Amino acid sequence: MVNLEDLKKEAKQILKDEKVKYIIGYKKGVNGLMPVPAFIKNPEDVDKLVWDPTCVYNLTLFIVDEKRRKAREKNPDERPVAIVVKGCDSRALIVLLQEKFIDRKDVYILGVSCENTGVLDEKKLIKKLKGKKAEKVEFDEKDNFVVFTQEGKVKIPAEEILAERCLECKANSPVIYDVLLGEKVERNINNPFKSLEITEDLSEEKKWAFWKEHLDKCIRCYACRSVCPMCYCDECVVDTISFAVTADTSAEEKAQKIKWVEKSPVSSENFVYHLVRAIHLAGRCIDCGECERVCPMDIPLRLLNKKLEKEVKELFDYDAGFDPDLPSLISCFKDEDPEDFIR
Amino acid sequence: MDRNTYIPRLAKIAQIREEVGGARPIKTFQTQFLKNNDFSFRCGQCAMLSVFGKGESMISISSTPLIKDYLQFSILKMGRVTSSLHEMLVGDIIGIRGPYGNGFPLEKWKGKNLIFIGGGIGLAPIWSVLNTALGKREDYGDLMLIYGARTSKDLVFKEELEELRNKMTVHLSVDVEEPDWKEFVGFVPQNVTDKKPSPKNSITITCGPPIMIKFVIQALKDPGFEDEQIYTTVENKMKCGIGKCGRCNIGLHYVCQDGPVYSWAELKKLPQEY
Amino acid sequence: MEKILTKKSFPQWVKKLVSYKIYAPVEEDNHWSYEIIDNPENIDLDYPLTVLSPKKIIFPQREVLLEFETSNENKLQVKETLPNDEPTVIFGVRPCDAKSLTLTDKVFGGDFEDLYYWRRRNQSTLVGLSCNIPPSPNCFCLSVDGSPHSKEGLDILMTDLGDKYIIETFTKKGDQLINAAKNLFKNSTSKDKNNLEKIQTESEKKIRRQVKDIKKIPPKLKEMFDSPIWDEESMSCLRCGICTYLCPTCHCFDINDEIASSSPIKGKRIRTWDNCQFPDFTMHSSGHNPRPDKASRLRQRIIHKFQYFVERYQNYQCTGCGRCISQCPVGIDIIEVLDKVSDYGP
Repeated sequence: MVNLEDLKKEAKQILKDEKVKYIIGYKKGVNGLMPVPAFIKNPEDVDKLVWDPTCVYNLTLFIVDEKRRKAREKNPDERPVAIVVKGCDSRALIVLLQEKFIDRKDVYILGVSCENTGVLDEKKLIKKLKGKKAEKVEFDEKDNFVVFTQEGKVKIPAEEILAERCLECKANSPVIYDVLLGEKVERNINNPFKSLEITEDLSEEKKWAFWKEHLDKCIRCYACRSVCPMCYCDECVVDTISFAVTADTSAEEKAQKIKWVEKSPVSSENFVYHLVRAIHLAGRCIDCGECERVCPMDIPLRLLNKKLEKEVKELFDYDAGFDPDLPSLISCFKDEDPEDFIR
Repeated sequence: MDRNTYIPRLAKIAQIREEVGGARPIKTFQTQFLKNNDFSFRCGQCAMLSVFGKGESMISISSTPLIKDYLQFSILKMGRVTSSLHEMLVGDIIGIRGPYGNGFPLEKWKGKNLIFIGGGIGLAPIWSVLNTALGKREDYGDLMLIYGARTSKDLVFKEELEELRNKMTVHLSVDVEEPDWKEFVGFVPQNVTDKKPSPKNSITITCGPPIMIKFVIQALKDPGFEDEQIYTTVENKMKCGIGKCGRCNIGLHYVCQDGPVYSWAELKKLPQEY
Repeated sequence: MEKILTKKSFPQWVKKLVSYKIYAPVEEDNHWSYEIIDNPENIDLDYPLTVLSPKKIIFPQREVLLEFETSNENKLQVKETLPNDEPTVIFGVRPCDAKSLTLTDKVFGGDFEDLYYWRRRNQSTLVGLSCNIPPSPNCFCLSVDGSPHSKEGLDILMTDLGDKYIIETFTKKGDQLINAAKNLFKNSTSKDKNNLEKIQTESEKKIRRQVKDIKKIPPKLKEMFDSPIWDEESMSCLRCGICTYLCPTCHCFDINDEIASSSPIKGKRIRTWDNCQFPDFTMHSSGHNPRPDKASRLRQRIIHKFQYFVERYQNYQCTGCGRCISQCPVGIDIIEVLDKVSDYGP
């Protein structure tokens, strides 16, 4: 089991030694069960750090944020930022490294192992508790989650309330780290694409109807895009104003910028937005599941990316985010790559 | 009000004049409504011009309300809508809705000396006030124009500027030396310092790039202008023009309704977010 | 008037409203949403807070303002497209959501009335449901001059008395709805009235969250424009649109032309929701952005809701529904931010 005190000790030391600018981790929220992202600058504040099954968020998107902040500063502090990552989160860091978006020296990685379990799905927990309010959740040695409510504590087998993606986990321990907390435990997932069974065997009409029903609810809040660490483009296909606009950009350039997707939240535009985003993530998505978690309309977004993950595996035998030295999938080719689409 | 203010009235482009060419062109358009030319407005107010299929753009009306035949707009080619406008020909149809905004408080300025200070295309929003003052000459005191641009080619209303010299004091400038230029060489704020306008019973109206406005206001403090004597117009991104879409919101104000005309005394109090 | 309706009779009342389009909360996946009802038996008035408030019916996310087309003679024609005449009833409106409509009324009224908003608003009858228990763990209506049984903005307010509803009407529109099925309603008794009072008092005690000292906040915010608090609080903000799109009082929008063909030109001018948290909301064509970072945008949201709107309209632009707190992906809590504001400084 991960010892939280070890994490705090390590965090305190690197802050005292001024090795890093600040630490991105999890801390308890003011209200409710779920934690909130913590940005810890002072060694005294490391006691705020938590590690428990509620630490669902993928914090690597704040590494992208940090890069944006640095770009706006005149004399930026060049020290790295420390970040607490789980196995899946560490794969996101590797994708950012593969794409040369960040340098290895920009991050100090505090890896935390999920060992035999993972993190919970808040909605599944609420259903399970049937009205009782959870105040705290902890790991235990036997792969259960111990849930504390006002009426006492309850042991729930982790499997019953694990996040969907944890049931298909490909990296239960960080793949890259400067410090590793917890142990690497072998976990055999016998069906890593099980969640696709809902839609894979449906007829074309049924598949279309399934996705139309869900995507019609999309309100284009772009939370899915904002929470994804891999959606770091300054100029996104859906933006009508390009961020690359400077005082020198000519009026013609601005006038000719193509509006790929209209702002209206209608079926056609919602489909284009989500499908284009999924394709732009093919070979890059590491299935942290955040897009689906944050969607206020409960659209099963993870399935879109999972399907492409499966295609990429079958076509190119490639898994995103395992080797920072490998070039990113789309930027290279091998002679063995399938060519049956070339006539 | 029963009229649906989002629906523009159709107008045809009656005349186009190229003011400035090159990479940042400016054209002056005169428009006439297709149905009736009834459109009353106050100096300083703006209208939303529609290019159907491209969008809308809020442009200040640069003609004086004393002219009833047409509305005049001077437009800098900047983005999608303005580029489209620049490609239009005489006879093409656009939409116009408005007028929006608060306009200049001319009633308060009766009997006062008016000093117009403009830079580049900034002359367009104050052109309306300037011509209204000339049209109702007896209502105002001395009139002075201090106007400059990067080069003599970048000055707008070049034809009218020469005629103006017969009716009021005109001081022009260009940023750098050029052959045959006999007037002041330097930035507009420096010209203001050079010409030392008197604050006694005076109002100044200034418009131009934000940095120019900042230094003009500094330059006016020297001879002793008070914040209440300095007026300017504020630009902000606008979409609805009627204080509802929230885009141009600064502090308590919606620039499209409570502005774009502000005295420096009022503008100082707003958050500097424009 | 004040009437009693048994729970069994409720679907029958709705069935009598044949000339109206009926909206009510419906369960979809893991959330509830206001949708058009075909079968009144399916209306379940025992629901938590919906994800989107009835704002989506009165001020829909997509509204066609006008259509334009070049006719055969090459003449440009512009056609206004106001919403259809469709008397509507919305059941199960929570008092906070009804109050939010009175706030958006102030924005869409004024000198230039927004005819699209008002047509939908005027043809809708709002039937509220008192919150005997808070419909969300993050409700704080009492802190912003609201209450779980407020009648502001409603035509009718229903309160659950166990096996029946007590129904109070406040407007002609509300009376009309009752009269459509007069025989289903009985007069209320003094016992019912006592019951109602008890429930109302109890419901206020059940609201768990509150803002520490809201009266301090508007004057404090006036001094806090340059405070470092905005940078700290916005560090984890994702710049998505959840807080503003779900907020029942937020009203920012965008207007865009969408074309079906460019030559000859044919298209529509469409109004869609927009939000001040998107990075490009205030960006000028020149590339200049008055609010280029998350701190300035969070500051705009808080100061607009709790100072600018207060000075302009004498109301907080917040009805305490708690949606922004429940749905923020990173747990930014507006009550926490407001408490920090009231504690800030000397």
